[in-house]
Amino acid sequence: MRAITTSGLAEELATVVDELRAVTVQVWADAQHGTDAAASGAGVLWDPQGSNGRGLVITNAHVVRGAQATVGLGDGAVLPARVVARDRKRDLAALEFESSSAMFAQLREVPLQVGELVIAVGHPGGLVGVAALGIVHVAEDGRDDRRPRWIRADLRLAPGFSGGPLADMSGKVIGINAMVHGSLALAVPVTTVESWLRRAQAPAA
Amino acid sequence: MTALLESLSNELAAAVETAGRAVVAIHARRRIPASGVSWRPGVIVATNHTIRRDDNITVTLPDGTSAPATLAGRDPSTDLAVLKLPGQSLASASLRRDGPPRVGELVIALGRPGARLTASWGIVSGVAGPWRTWQGGEIDSLLRLDLSIYDGFSGGPLIDAAGRVLGINTSGLARGAPVTIPVTTVDRTAAELLERGSIRRAYLGIGTQPVRVPQSLARRLELTNAMGLLIASVEPGGPADRDGVLLGDVLLALDGAEVSDPTDLLAKLGGDRVGRTVAARVIRGGQVKTLQVTPGERPERRAA
Repeated sequence: MRAITTSGLAEELATVVDELRAVTVQVWADAQHGTDAAASGAGVLWDPQGSNGRGLVITNAHVVRGAQATVGLGDGAVLPARVVARDRKRDLAALEFESSSAMFAQLREVPLQVGELVIAVGHPGGLVGVAALGIVHVAEDGRDDRRPRWIRADLRLAPGFSGGPLADMSGKVIGINAMVHGSLALAVPVTTVESWLRRAQAPAA
Repeated sequence: MTALLESLSNELAAAVETAGRAVVAIHARRRIPASGVSWRPGVIVATNHTIRRDDNITVTLPDGTSAPATLAGRDPSTDLAVLKLPGQSLASASLRRDGPPRVGELVIALGRPGARLTASWGIVSGVAGPWRTWQGGEIDSLLRLDLSIYDGFSGGPLIDAAGRVLGINTSGLARGAPVTIPVTTVDRTAAELLERGSIRRAYLGIGTQPVRVPQSLARRLELTNAMGLLIASVEPGGPADRDGVLLGDVLLALDGAEVSDPTDLLAKLGGDRVGRTVAARVIRGGQVKTLQVTPGERPERRAA
């Protein structure tokens, strides 16, 4: 039996996971972590928008505690990072670190359709760069802007996925994984991250 | 490039969208509503256990509007219920009738526990032949699923990757585990519920318990099967009582078929047996005796 479609799908899935791993970092909650300690969560390399020589990471507020953190890049580099913004309500945090790397995640802001495939990458249980596949559980509710909006995916995640990317099948990031509710994964949509970042960075600019 | 993967994703989303046009929310209990499927024009199929009241039932349509529906009938034995929803231009589900799916097939369970459609995906993890629910309902094939179900999913459809409906999902038949009632069973049950309002089943008015007939007695009576059903209760004035069945009789066979388990008895009490006199072989006072019994029509909420 030659399963051409299935083999193609498997290869493409591996490609998407590789691309996502390249923009997913490990995040340790403090500045001095033991190198053998498991990361407290994941983070996504974000477009730093011209901030000279600095890299930007978006993660969950609950992944970092103080003003300092440590990030581990895909190439093995472990660097000190500064927490530049933090929002517990949206469960978001932004970290900056010195970097020469220009790599960052591609974002998708097109609305999600129920049933489309999504993939998450994170570091559960000390394993680095683990992937999980699922589908969009329910369309986002755009009508109520007062409550925080979540992407809900039928996707089984473990704690180490917090702060990592949720992406579509072209490898574009659609959200930041933040919570697990039964077998549902809840993620902060990229539109929420982008508008929060603009507000958080505005006073400094 | 990930063209195949993106096509698969788009096709799944399209299947959900198309099939979702025939999925409604049913408000017939407290807390969250459950789901239902537009089976054919004016007819909604749902699950019995999620419909907790007979009147004042409303349905939320895919376009977000609400409409009153009337209960046409319900069947606890298959956990199905049928509602009538006249005067709505609602899409009917596209039904897949080419037999049960295969183990490993990609499937999606849809629900509408409110205004918005929800989906969960997985595979068919097991397919087996006909089975009988704990309340005696006949289900044409056993479909077990490897997927997560969420509140309000009962009554929603299981669809294949092309959006065709394979059956109605329920958590009410297997201790909360998801089970799909296949299209053929839904067709048959819905037709009878629309016609009669309930599923006709025969009953004798007895409570039984499986017992082993002592070897010496089995040998003396030349029994082929040493198991029987001890009559542990007889409903006063019920069909069995009227026909002379006594407490303490051990039922060996009904209508020529040996019975060693209460489900064997249920299998012999289909709707077509009502009013038909059949032979019942019993052990009474150490002797085998044949009685003529005539099952009556089972009232609501009686087992055998």
